[in-house]
Amino acid sequence: MRIVLAIVLVVLAALPPVTGAQAPPIRVGFASAMSGPAAITGEGVRWGATLAVDEINAKGGVMGRKLEAYFADNKATPGEAVSAVRKLADVDKVDVIVGQTHSGACLGAMPVVKEIGVPMVVESCSHPDIRKLSGKGGNEWTFRVALDDEIMAHTFARYMAKQGVKSASILAMNNDFGRGAVNAYEAAFRKANVKAVSTEFFDPGQPDFRPVLTRLKRAGAETILGVILASDGAPFMRQYRELGLTQKIYSRGSLATAEFLHQVRDNPKIGDGVVEAGYWVAGLDPDFDKRWEERHKIPPRVHGSLAAITLKWAVVPALEIAQKKHGKIDRATIRTALTEVDVKDSPLGPIKFDANHQAWINMLLLEMQDGKVRILEKLPTSPALLN
Amino acid sequence: MLTDVLETLVHGLTLGSMYAMVAAGLALMLGVARLINFAHGEFFMLGAYAFWFGYREYELPYVVAGALAVAAMVVWGLVYQLGVIRAILARSWHVQLIATLATSIVLTNLAIIVFGTQPKEVPTKLSSTILDIGGFRLAWQRLLVLGGAVVVFWALQRFVTRTRAGRAMRAMSQNREACAVVGVDVQRVALVTFAVSAALAAVAAVLVSPLFNIFPDMGTGLTLKAFAAVVAGGFGYVNGAIAASFLIGVVEALAGSYISYAYKDAIAFLIMIAVLLWRPAGLFGRRIGI
Repeated sequence: MRIVLAIVLVVLAALPPVTGAQAPPIRVGFASAMSGPAAITGEGVRWGATLAVDEINAKGGVMGRKLEAYFADNKATPGEAVSAVRKLADVDKVDVIVGQTHSGACLGAMPVVKEIGVPMVVESCSHPDIRKLSGKGGNEWTFRVALDDEIMAHTFARYMAKQGVKSASILAMNNDFGRGAVNAYEAAFRKANVKAVSTEFFDPGQPDFRPVLTRLKRAGAETILGVILASDGAPFMRQYRELGLTQKIYSRGSLATAEFLHQVRDNPKIGDGVVEAGYWVAGLDPDFDKRWEERHKIPPRVHGSLAAITLKWAVVPALEIAQKKHGKIDRATIRTALTEVDVKDSPLGPIKFDANHQAWINMLLLEMQDGKVRILEKLPTSPALLN
Repeated sequence: MLTDVLETLVHGLTLGSMYAMVAAGLALMLGVARLINFAHGEFFMLGAYAFWFGYREYELPYVVAGALAVAAMVVWGLVYQLGVIRAILARSWHVQLIATLATSIVLTNLAIIVFGTQPKEVPTKLSSTILDIGGFRLAWQRLLVLGGAVVVFWALQRFVTRTRAGRAMRAMSQNREACAVVGVDVQRVALVTFAVSAALAAVAAVLVSPLFNIFPDMGTGLTLKAFAAVVAGGFGYVNGAIAASFLIGVVEALAGSYISYAYKDAIAFLIMIAVLLWRPAGLFGRRIGI
């Protein structure tokens, strides 16, 4: 018996010590629209997140622990977003969530992440209420990297006014993203002395823009502000050209993106002249873009890239702070660590969450010209922009 | 102003043509097989992807890619009838509803898996060439859609009235039991009906896709519109469904242009409800057969 015990002890002693690499993985959940009319965003998030997780794990993980990605479908709706959070938190037992891509889904998910107590880092929802409801005195579990339309609207409206724009019609998606943007831009236009002549809404996935373009033509504004994503942008621009409209197009969403240009690759100059306000463009993280194109054979998409950047430059630094400063990585310490993240040089600009858990990344003014997207201006942002 | 109205009317007729080709197939299925195929919008979606595959991936000429897409959908119509419909044809409407709805969901998600979520574009020379007559602007493709729809409905009429298979379809739509008694092969007629309906959806997809996007969910809303047209047209009366489709298309275009774009679908459906209140048996009154 003693001999057996001695052998067991020798064998145990000979085993390598338990290192970080063998520690349990850190579970990261990604929620986005994986099905339904907005499924293109969720597919992008899945691709971007997978690429980023592979890259991080290939470099040894975070503090020696591998990352494991879990995905849930919010169908871009508030109700499904609740189920997506519950699935990620209760079934997959994730430590942190990145998502929800769509403003309505995000607003729907916020009370649940608070109730469960799981941190959620928002990568691209731009409804102003998300900032107003988050942070001190509100939802302590929600953090946002993306800029919202209230932050961007005043700068964009001032830019338009500087270009001599006197009037604009707004065409927006009929969802929380579109309606939030309309409220922000109507207020910003008033302040910048740009007359908002008319406002129209369309359902995402709508193939037919002819009637609304006729309305915009009749409204007679000098310009059109389109709150529109790349997937709707292609039929919109084709029908805009078909109708022979000449109003200059300004946009919010993802019209001036490689994703849009890929869709209209038979006639890439169809979007020439469009000026867009945003905070991401292909080329901000060239290595990531290259790996995306190698793996998926198409240009990087905005929501997938934002999910990857959020993971790499907001969540991973928080995980490192949690381990180093608080000695453990769990939901509560990740939440605390997120408030301490201070990344100066992410592809989107600085990431440091303020009292409302809002990061003040750079705003970009983009223009499509000769079938390419170029950066007109890169503008730092701050809470002063809201005044 | 007049130009605007004319453009809107032509646009409404283009939409109506698309709805009509899909609704005609749905009405045929309802009239002959007494079954509402809730996966019919997905037939349109599959036809569009089949066309995209030939036209963009293999760079076949438009006509060849279109013909191949229609042929592929005829095969799909046969497979669907043999694989799904045959088993449920004699079952209650609950079973039929669930089976066809399930097919719709499966097809949409299969399309996401196979073709991805990125919308596909199939612009043609005609869709990017604009006809401009004194400010009246129109892509030539829209004229092709209108002309194509006329030819398709003429051919459908000839098929149903002049051919043996068409006459069998009409007979079956009037009295299925009597057809069986006199030796008409009911299952075979149902098979032909599904092949023709799938072909109609594919022709619509080939004609219309160059104007719009192709994406996995594109059939869902279309099924609802086509179903509304079938109901307003007189439950299985093909010509009624075609007329109601054009009505929906024109009302939708006019409502979108002159009342509210956001509520154009709601307005179109409200008008359909009004039509049914006015004529409960459909636009053309009580009819027996397709």
